[in-house]
Amino acid sequence: MEILIKNGYVYDPMNNIKGDVMDIAIKDGKIVEPSEIDLQRAKVIDAKGKVVMPGGIDIHAHVAGPKVNSGRIMMLNDHYRSFMKLVPGRRRSGTGKYTPSTYITGYRYARMGWTTVIEPASPPLKTRHTHEELNDIPIVDKACLILMDSNRIILNYLDNKDYEGCKEFILWLLEAVKGYGVKLVDPGTAVLWSWGRGYGLDVDDPVEPYSLTPRDIVEGLCRVNLELGLPHPLHVHCNKLGIPGNCETTLKTMDAVSRLSSDKVILHITHVQFNAYLGGNWYDLGTGSEKIAKYVNTHKHVSLDMGQIDFGTATTMTADAPFEYALFHMARWKWLGTDVEAEAAAGIVPYKYRRRNFVNALQWCIGLEIALLVEDPWRVMITTDHPNGAPFTRYPKIMTLLMSKRFREEVMKKLNRRALRKAILPSIDREYDLYEIAVMTRAAPAKLLGLERTKGHLGIGADADVAIYDINPKELDPSRDYEKYLKAFKRAEYTIKSGEIVVMKGEVVNEVYGKTFYVKAKTKLEEEIYGEVEKFFREWYTVELQNYIIAEHELRNPQPIYVGGA
Amino acid sequence: MTSIEVTLVTGRSLAQGIALEKGKLSEDYLKNVAVVELDENDLRRLGISEGDTVKVKTKFGEVVVKAIKSREPHPGIAFIPMGPWASLVVDPSTEGSGMPTLKGIHAEISPTKEPVMNPVEILRRVYNLTKKIPPMDPAEVVVVKEETKRIEKHVTCAFCGSLCDDLEVVISGGRIIDVRKACALGRSKILHAHENRILSAYIRKNGELVKADLKEAIRHAAKILVNADYPLLYGWSSTSVEAIKLGLELAEILGGAFDNTSVICHGPSIQALQEVGLVTCTLGQVKNYADLIIYWGCNPLHAHPRHLARYTVLSRGVYVKSRKERKFVVVDVRQTSTARAADLFIKVRPNEDYELLSALRMIIKGFDIEASEVAGVPIEKIYELADMMMSAKFGVIFYGLGLTMTKGKSRNIEEVIKLVQELNEWTKFVLIPMRGHYNVTGANQVCAWTTGYPYSIDFRRGYPRHIPGLTSAPDLLANGDVDAVLIVASDPVAHFPNEAVRHMLKIPLITIDPKWSLTATVSDVVIPSAIVGLECEGTAYRMDAVPIRLRKLIEPPPGVLSDEEILRMLLDEVKKLKGIGGS
Repeated sequence: MEILIKNGYVYDPMNNIKGDVMDIAIKDGKIVEPSEIDLQRAKVIDAKGKVVMPGGIDIHAHVAGPKVNSGRIMMLNDHYRSFMKLVPGRRRSGTGKYTPSTYITGYRYARMGWTTVIEPASPPLKTRHTHEELNDIPIVDKACLILMDSNRIILNYLDNKDYEGCKEFILWLLEAVKGYGVKLVDPGTAVLWSWGRGYGLDVDDPVEPYSLTPRDIVEGLCRVNLELGLPHPLHVHCNKLGIPGNCETTLKTMDAVSRLSSDKVILHITHVQFNAYLGGNWYDLGTGSEKIAKYVNTHKHVSLDMGQIDFGTATTMTADAPFEYALFHMARWKWLGTDVEAEAAAGIVPYKYRRRNFVNALQWCIGLEIALLVEDPWRVMITTDHPNGAPFTRYPKIMTLLMSKRFREEVMKKLNRRALRKAILPSIDREYDLYEIAVMTRAAPAKLLGLERTKGHLGIGADADVAIYDINPKELDPSRDYEKYLKAFKRAEYTIKSGEIVVMKGEVVNEVYGKTFYVKAKTKLEEEIYGEVEKFFREWYTVELQNYIIAEHELRNPQPIYVGGA
Repeated sequence: MTSIEVTLVTGRSLAQGIALEKGKLSEDYLKNVAVVELDENDLRRLGISEGDTVKVKTKFGEVVVKAIKSREPHPGIAFIPMGPWASLVVDPSTEGSGMPTLKGIHAEISPTKEPVMNPVEILRRVYNLTKKIPPMDPAEVVVVKEETKRIEKHVTCAFCGSLCDDLEVVISGGRIIDVRKACALGRSKILHAHENRILSAYIRKNGELVKADLKEAIRHAAKILVNADYPLLYGWSSTSVEAIKLGLELAEILGGAFDNTSVICHGPSIQALQEVGLVTCTLGQVKNYADLIIYWGCNPLHAHPRHLARYTVLSRGVYVKSRKERKFVVVDVRQTSTARAADLFIKVRPNEDYELLSALRMIIKGFDIEASEVAGVPIEKIYELADMMMSAKFGVIFYGLGLTMTKGKSRNIEEVIKLVQELNEWTKFVLIPMRGHYNVTGANQVCAWTTGYPYSIDFRRGYPRHIPGLTSAPDLLANGDVDAVLIVASDPVAHFPNEAVRHMLKIPLITIDPKWSLTATVSDVVIPSAIVGLECEGTAYRMDAVPIRLRKLIEPPPGVLSDEEILRMLLDEVKKLKGIGGS
């Protein structure tokens, strides 16, 4: 299919295009020179007075895999309330708002103009499940990050200071389970949780029975990640998530690897809002946004994503199992916990964020504060840690909140007063512009994922993933007309995925299936480390090593990214 | 004539599991399944000896079976293995839960001179079936000779929810000649894989099943489904995830109902999870850490024979290394063979598990119990068990259908989940359901990620709905709501209660199965399929939701396709009939 998008206001930060009126040409799934298009055959989209951007990229959303599915099963109430109907030959049906089923997950991303999503926490033993769900998410490209912080084989290597062995194993593991990157969640906690311990584990606490601390794990794996040249930096959910006073823990975690790089981002701190709290208890909770932002503004080796909350029901799900157990004692409704042998643990607890609740209101402020106080939009991305803080369908709202102080004030009118007195947000005037929003939601995540060659921009040769929003930036001021921006962002006028029109006027019109990216070693590794790993497997696991490895053909549309080796 | 009153329990037995692989019309099956296990004392009270026939009568029906002496004493309890005989006397009412009552039913037993009916006679005389039952193909599959002998290692066994993946299969001449490391059930399934097979497609014409071309059979099946007002697609627990996915798409397009067999096994477990959550882990955690292992209402030595050795009591873990370091408790209504091996056996009165679980919760919360016994268990023993639970380092409860099929159903499971959640205040404690069919967990997983609901899904309104008791297969059939049924890899005619079977026999029936089942013999279209894990590949989920790949080891019989291939053809045909483009 050939498409010509004419006369749109194009926002393409990677190519330094800031709302210029341009034509974007698409042929065979790629962006091409407009001269290469056969205008007789091409579909011409008149984007005059509209915004054209690369497709959105979500760097962190729990959309697929074992715990997401457990969440779906547990959240029956969510599925009764929200559904999408079958349109024969065009789209499948599904249910759920904050734990949506796979098909409608893809449709809802596409409707907002998003075309890539990263599932950020898959335990290796159950990653086959994650891939089966990713296979069933239509339209978007995807990848999954692999939980490694409590993997006993990895901890063994780190404990023995065998970084070379560790590097080889991690590369083998990523390829074996078709993962894209290394994810740490509350480093070391799942080890302790096997004995029912681990709540509040801090960076310098021991992770028994290893002679390691979470700091050692972060540092060791950051080094491994860097030396392997993996496309994505180490992706860390810091220790003590959701506990007052954890801001210090986050600062220590960031600083633990500062000597490894002075310019390049080597550490991604995810859903930072949940890890930016001051105070010693919930009643004296305070915002750590200034401290976090100050650190990021003065150190170039870290990037952040927001983990913004929104008010209403959410489902918290994380590999930080002891935290969920603690949250169950506060929320007192349902609790689902799972341990995965030798690797990880997880918990799920439904939760409701309330405007009038001091803690929740302050959480809402902290997320926005961090995004507004970090100067460089290339290092702070929009997420809700879906479905922890809010469903991903709230991204348009968050984009708009960042663009309009007036909108923020409108929401703050209904918030808990004490929270507003402790928050910095009311005093922040900064408003993001469309270009910066395009950075945060397109260019920056593409770059951080190491996909910037083909993703997150509209230059020649890029994948033809494009979003067109029906909003005229020259006529409408986002600060004042934020409602119109919100409406436009919620439903894209057009979404184009790999050169196919998949959304028109906010409705899914065509179902295509995207790629699944995974890391593959340039050289064949298997035999060298097989013996060692096999021995460990017999001791720790209940499956055969041979059956643990996921074949490439089990992925619907596998796309290897080669790293390492000669 | 003398008669005695008993509590009837139905379920899997080892002999039933082995015999069913030889075929439901085999002598072995009749010999091992048309029986009632009675206590020696009860036999004496009836004045009969082992091998005599007895009549079992409940509020819901009666059946004649052969009495056999139970290996372990269980006075007052009668056990009939699941199958067409048990189905005649169980309680079909699901009380709005989707789950009929299959255990803990009041029954009367008396000696009789009447003969035991075989499954065909049951269909004829009890259900008044007039359809002709085909003379089945000679069961043996003829295979192309292959000279070399090879051994396939790390093979996953597709029988029960344990999904042992360390089997060694010896193949010669294109056929499996030996299996190593498998239990009796797995061995039977794999070694008898070539027996009792359906080797051609069939269509029923003028009351008789006649051989048909595969494409013709698929066209015929598609027509039945498209013409139906509200078809039911049922089974799915003994096939691959890939096939289940296609089944869901088919149900969605047809606007029909889709249910998997969990509705009559762990459906109540899912309902409880929906209410309160679950605390669980994978089996390796149990192997490496658990020092207290409790089996409640299940008999793994019969239903999951390698469970104890591979994952629990007898396994060698990283931190807990041997049997000596683990405590082993069984709670059941009768002393099963698993119970005999336990350190502590707690005999609970049938239908009173809820009371016993509540008592444990009370003790753990620090309340005193004034009664001297609860659910037939002396209070000292309950305190002993509570103490063992609270002082374990890592405890686990495995529970089976003894909790889900009896009075209380999902409420029993909610209670055990809450007990485990509360035990986590004291120590590490987890709960794992003993899932039966090898991919019943997978069926729940696929259904959940596709529709949001794990089973009993209705697509009538163009989007998924889930109302157990209404959209669950036993209810849809018993209430006569559906007007055509597609069965994939299941045998509801043998295992569903009386009323449901009656309706099934009245409406068009399509079966896709590797083997002749009772359902296949009475179907209107029969399509043979390859056996997943032997003749075609696919993914299945172990009872702890660990996904494991099943491999293809040998070629299927000539002309026989996998469930996945058949369903894709069927789906394409249905789309064509409905005028839907694309695929």
